[in-house]
Amino acid sequence: MNHKKLPKTGIIIENLVKRYGTFTAIDNISLEVNAGQIFGFLGPNGAGKTTTIKILAGLLKPDTGNVLINGYNLAEEPVMCKLHTGHIPDRPFLYEKLTGDEFLRFIASLYNLSTETFEKNVDRLLTLFDLTDWQDHLIESYSHGMRQKLIMTSAFMLETPTIIVDEPMVGLDPKSARIVKELFKNHARTGGSIFLSTHSLEVAEELCDRIAIILNGRIKTVGDMESLRKEASLETSDLEEVFLELTEAEELTEVIEALKNMD
Amino acid sequence: MSTLRYGTRRTLLLPMLLSAKNRFFPTGSFPIKSIGVGIFCLVLCTVIFNVTLRVITYFHAQDELGVILSLKIFQMAWILIFVMLIFSCMVSAVSSVYLSQDNEIVFSAPITTPELYFMRYISNTIYTSWMMIIFSLPLFASYGIVFHTPPLYWLLMVITLVSMACSATCFGLLVTVILINIFPARHTKDIILYLSLCFGVLILFLIRLLKPEDMVYFDKYGFLIDHLSKISKPAAPYIPAGWAANFLSLYLLDLEIDWLLLGLILLTPFALYFLGEGAMKMWFFPGYSKSQESFGGNTKFGKKRKYLPNTWQWVFSKEFKIFARDSSEWSQLFMIAALVVIYLYNFKLLPIERASFSEEFITNLIAFLNIGLAGFIITSLSARFVFPSIGAEGGAFYHIRSSPLSIRRFLMYKFLFYVIPFTFLSLTLIIISNRILHIEGPMWWISFLINLFITWTVVALGLGFGAVYADFKTENKTVTMGSMGAVMFILTATALQVVIIFIGANPVYRIVRRWLNDHVLNLSDLYFLTAWVLISIAISLGLVIYYFRKGINMLGNS
Repeated sequence: MNHKKLPKTGIIIENLVKRYGTFTAIDNISLEVNAGQIFGFLGPNGAGKTTTIKILAGLLKPDTGNVLINGYNLAEEPVMCKLHTGHIPDRPFLYEKLTGDEFLRFIASLYNLSTETFEKNVDRLLTLFDLTDWQDHLIESYSHGMRQKLIMTSAFMLETPTIIVDEPMVGLDPKSARIVKELFKNHARTGGSIFLSTHSLEVAEELCDRIAIILNGRIKTVGDMESLRKEASLETSDLEEVFLELTEAEELTEVIEALKNMD
Repeated sequence: MSTLRYGTRRTLLLPMLLSAKNRFFPTGSFPIKSIGVGIFCLVLCTVIFNVTLRVITYFHAQDELGVILSLKIFQMAWILIFVMLIFSCMVSAVSSVYLSQDNEIVFSAPITTPELYFMRYISNTIYTSWMMIIFSLPLFASYGIVFHTPPLYWLLMVITLVSMACSATCFGLLVTVILINIFPARHTKDIILYLSLCFGVLILFLIRLLKPEDMVYFDKYGFLIDHLSKISKPAAPYIPAGWAANFLSLYLLDLEIDWLLLGLILLTPFALYFLGEGAMKMWFFPGYSKSQESFGGNTKFGKKRKYLPNTWQWVFSKEFKIFARDSSEWSQLFMIAALVVIYLYNFKLLPIERASFSEEFITNLIAFLNIGLAGFIITSLSARFVFPSIGAEGGAFYHIRSSPLSIRRFLMYKFLFYVIPFTFLSLTLIIISNRILHIEGPMWWISFLINLFITWTVVALGLGFGAVYADFKTENKTVTMGSMGAVMFILTATALQVVIIFIGANPVYRIVRRWLNDHVLNLSDLYFLTAWVLISIAISLGLVIYYFRKGINMLGNS
């Protein structure tokens, strides 16, 4: 199957709600990620980012609301949605007793990836991530960064039109981080969409076309950098200032001052 | 400073103590699980106590030879428990001292090697010996009742048991610390595992070759005592377990306390503790450092072949490779092989000629009951291999869940992967045992087909329960085997087999009796048999579908 030929209409999230017992992790959020767009999803710890990502990846069932991925409804056609989605989690859980190459073949088979696409992409990506010499070693001997790079390789080799990423740069060296950024940009340039959750405001500022900030399970604001600055009334500030302003972390200034005065 | 150091020792035990507290007495909820486990242990202890009490009382009723035989078993039990504790401690010590996930936090903290040793010693002693202590207490206590000892025996028994547990842990830790300096940690773990398995296999064969069924024949006691003496005598005087056995035997027989043996029993754990601490000071850091270097190794695997998209083939391949590359998994096959040999050997030793019924009737009856026995073996092995296979996916299970492969299909592939070897095993058990029993005619086919059907059902149930009770955080499959889910699976699968055999007894009896008498099959008997088969299929399918669906739902929402 050539995923490049699939319709690329991005992601639509409508009135999504997820509760854990009495705690509402996601409270009626609606978002839209267009094809060819890198969408940043920011928020403080516990705001609901990972829950949203897990729902989009088909790992968690929402209580109410709809998710459409490339035109398919996640609740009604989960297999088609997953076929169109690559998922890069924040923690690289892998099968320790498989080699890198075996792991990639296993994942490719799960997605029924064609032999041509597999062979075309895997060698290129392994070379890009300096994993060629390690592909026949057991994953249990990989470092954290190598595992993360292997996950990246598995996600990009699939050529899915949509990629969902949770904290992409954790454990990556500067060279690999640069490569990943370029891969993301290239994916968007060729019409793919990326939903990216990150704590790194530099990454978000550099990569994302649009950014949503989530706080206590609700979308605080959505827009490009310019509109976010306007909303925070900080026309010349960087994303960090904007983020702190919009996530109501004003008290942080006092904390920083107190820390500066500590001997 | 010394206060701070003692404080550190207490602090080092906090993770273990608090984890245990949170596990058994969770804040804000009634500890129903802990109470359940407590009741289960109590029931099991009562059963062990009553069975041992009856056996020892029976021996005593025979003659002086019976008393000697019971004391020989007493000595052998002490030696076995001691050696098992050492092996169990060694396997646990490699993981907890060198490969544990909390090592990076603990070893980078400002604590001394003796403090570390203290921490690992206490946790290893508790983890590896609590079960042995609890379940051997009723065993040894029953001797006190039969020998009419005063309450002092109970105190001496508890002291001796705790001392043995401490000595075994110290010795196990000491040997492990030395071995890690010779081999890399993972290889040491494998070596200890193989040794433990060899020991387990040896014990199985020793016990089987002892022919315990001969214990009901008084004329064979002489042979048994001779046999037991050969096994336990040469080692006994030189190991702590021998001191424990001799010390308590003397008290049981003459109510005398051998102060030298008591001194040895009390002082050995301390002597071994300080020896272990010394070894730890000398060799721990080089060994730990080496265990970090040996992570994974540089072994390369496999030659590259052309990639072809084939989901089921790759799921099979993944399962097989993970199994074949994990020594703690495939090495269990030796134990299974030993069990199969002993299982089949039992049929050779059956005293069929002593039975009052016709030999043909008895062999057919055994073949029918053998369906349940073989089924129980399949159930136990499913609890060990099939049930934990879903949870064993660990964190990596999200690859399956976020892929287009549905959980239903994934479970089906898993089922096919496990059902093939299990079918082979169950057919081996049934066909060979039927051959040993000279079974022919309808009983051969009944036992063959029903066993096949039970095997498939049990494997499917194992997967269904495994999906419902999947624990993706457990690192050790053996631990999963003792979980609530595994117990529920074993109980359900066993109950199902009991029901199948119970309701099948009458139809099978009618068919077999007519066949043995006249070598013909009657149509009405066949109706009964068909009804039994259909009811069994309906019950089994109902259970499998229910637990598969429940498992798919649970995995989908986990």
